[in-house]
Amino acid sequence: MKFHIIAAKDMKILIRDHNALILMFILPMLLISVAGLALGGTFEDNIRIDVLVVDLDNRDLSKEFVQFLEDIDILDVDMESNEFAARDRVKNKEYGRLVIVPPGFTESIMTGQDTELLIISDPSEDSQNTVLEKIIEGYANRMSTYVVTIKTVTTYGVPTYDQEKVFDIIKVVDRFIASPPVAVVTQSSTTDTKDFSPFIQYVPGFAVMFLLLTCVEAGSVSLLKEQESGTLRRLVTAPISRSEIIGGKIASIFIRGFIQLSVLLLFGQVVFDLNLGSSIAAIIILISAVTLAGTGFGMLVAVLVKTKDQASSLSSMLVLTMSAMGGSWWPLFIEPQFMQDIAHFTITAWAMDGFYDLLIFDTGVSGIMKEVGVLLLMSMIFFWIATTRFKFE
Amino acid sequence: MTEALINDAIISIDKVVKRYNGFTAVDEISFNIKKGEIFGLLGPNGAGKSTLISILCCLFTQDSGKITIDGFDNIKDSIRIKNVIGVVPQEISLYPTLSARENLAFYGKIYGLSKKALHSRIEILLDMAGLTERADDMIQGFSGGMKRRINIAAALLHDPKILFMDEPTTGVDPQSRKRIYDTIVDLNKQGMSVLFTTHQMEDAQKLCHRIGIVDKGQLIALDTLTGLLELTGESDLIHVEAKDIPPNAVESIRKIETVQQVSIDEDSMTVQLLKGRELLVNIIDILISEGAKVEFINIKEPDLETLFLHLTGTKLRG
Repeated sequence: MKFHIIAAKDMKILIRDHNALILMFILPMLLISVAGLALGGTFEDNIRIDVLVVDLDNRDLSKEFVQFLEDIDILDVDMESNEFAARDRVKNKEYGRLVIVPPGFTESIMTGQDTELLIISDPSEDSQNTVLEKIIEGYANRMSTYVVTIKTVTTYGVPTYDQEKVFDIIKVVDRFIASPPVAVVTQSSTTDTKDFSPFIQYVPGFAVMFLLLTCVEAGSVSLLKEQESGTLRRLVTAPISRSEIIGGKIASIFIRGFIQLSVLLLFGQVVFDLNLGSSIAAIIILISAVTLAGTGFGMLVAVLVKTKDQASSLSSMLVLTMSAMGGSWWPLFIEPQFMQDIAHFTITAWAMDGFYDLLIFDTGVSGIMKEVGVLLLMSMIFFWIATTRFKFE
Repeated sequence: MTEALINDAIISIDKVVKRYNGFTAVDEISFNIKKGEIFGLLGPNGAGKSTLISILCCLFTQDSGKITIDGFDNIKDSIRIKNVIGVVPQEISLYPTLSARENLAFYGKIYGLSKKALHSRIEILLDMAGLTERADDMIQGFSGGMKRRINIAAALLHDPKILFMDEPTTGVDPQSRKRIYDTIVDLNKQGMSVLFTTHQMEDAQKLCHRIGIVDKGQLIALDTLTGLLELTGESDLIHVEAKDIPPNAVESIRKIETVQQVSIDEDSMTVQLLKGRELLVNIIDILISEGAKVEFINIKEPDLETLFLHLTGTKLRG
């Protein structure tokens, strides 16, 4: 296999291209800094999720749950004592979401019984609903751990009426959850939300936008440049297969995109204290999936145009539109629902969903499987079209 | 080159056809190229030369017909063929921000050369190109002629048996052109077979053992230079540059008994005829009397351009 020779050559050319390096790293860093510092306050004011809560239990754990919701900055929590009145207020669109804590919620958990938290929401506010659902799912996961623990210990003889003993056990579980002993279990149990810092929006937002610009530049403009300069013809006449040539190109675009996205996220972490989540594996998987989709997109543009000048103008148009629609410049959930639906035809929207999952909700690998799956599907479709239609002559 | 070297066919082309969107770029061309031969494919732009050389380089395949290169079929054994051929494309197919040495190293690795062999070949080829001193400079700082020389060197890294060159002297200064000629002759002396396309008569006349003339996708003549020139007989070529050449003048010139071909461009006319020197005055008389403003006149002995005009009725250039 000789594809690595092509990839290494492309990387050497990149290192000497100061303009490309500025576009890849310096410009996005500047934009992230300016946008995050200048627009952060205005931006935070816009991200509010109203929620009405009916606490029909009104005991220790339900009160703790309400406090948990009130402690989250982006939630505006109001209480309502009457369930029917609360349902009417949501029906009348006075509130977008209603959370009902059932009677006996605390009792059920303490005795190891199944229970539920009910969310009633206005379907026209899908993104805000999703954010609330993820927050409550995080809390519910913790409660589920308690229930499972209690079910387990009662199986081995601890009586459920021995509340003191059960409480002691829960305290022990809490201590274990605070310092997770087994990653798979504790990742879901410690699901937590972060404050919606403007950098949670702008670091991945601009990083993804500039990644797409890089991928298109490397994928289409440089490929067409090779076509126009004759270097591609020369390669085709050498003893190297066409799939190795394309493989080399894909490898070089992927490497530069992966490095770019990683560096920009690390920049956000180091300079603006951006929390990238507790799972390194999750962030690497997401960066890889986004970069692969971007690489496919870059290759796709190469077969849609005939010259590198056409590629430059088409790519700017496509990337800027995708970035605006897909949530690079502002959060998707402030867009109307139909725009959010359209946005999910773009790489940007799925990438941003994935970054929100990790940066806000710290969902770990399991929380980003859907986004990663869609991004990989997109990349496969792009690669298939690009490789079957690309003309080497 | 000795006659002994020119014997068996190293390239065999049999009734090759290539069409693009209904246009026949190569139309049933058949010929052989002998081992150790410098073969020139001469023809105007768009004649089908580059298409044919692209097929021979395994860039794409023919629609019909058979091609054998060094005993390998170009469709079934393209990878084997690629190991015995070197290709010099018409464009400067080098990476401008890599040095001459880095460009050569990249292509050498693509050809699978070992580190030791690669180092040795690069030094030999840089010396051949006269660019050892500039080996570590980026290509973007080179003159057109220097780039051409590295462009050729990049095709020779794996010491191919056959070298294909597509318009190798396009856009180079006379000094670089001479250097390229010398390189081709030297390579040929070492036993390398060379096929190049050109629309420059000088290239074909100075280098080729045999010349094939291609027009509109067809091979219209193939022979040694001497053999081809014999086809024109004693023809001369009169080239006139004049403004406002009236159609009547052209008709009158065509009626002169010994005139074989008349070709008209915007502000020039080329006449192929026997006994050109004797009839030159008659032609000028006709032009001036019909109102043409004659600015320049040139009379040439038979050459490939004469031949091309003789065979096709059109000038080679343009």
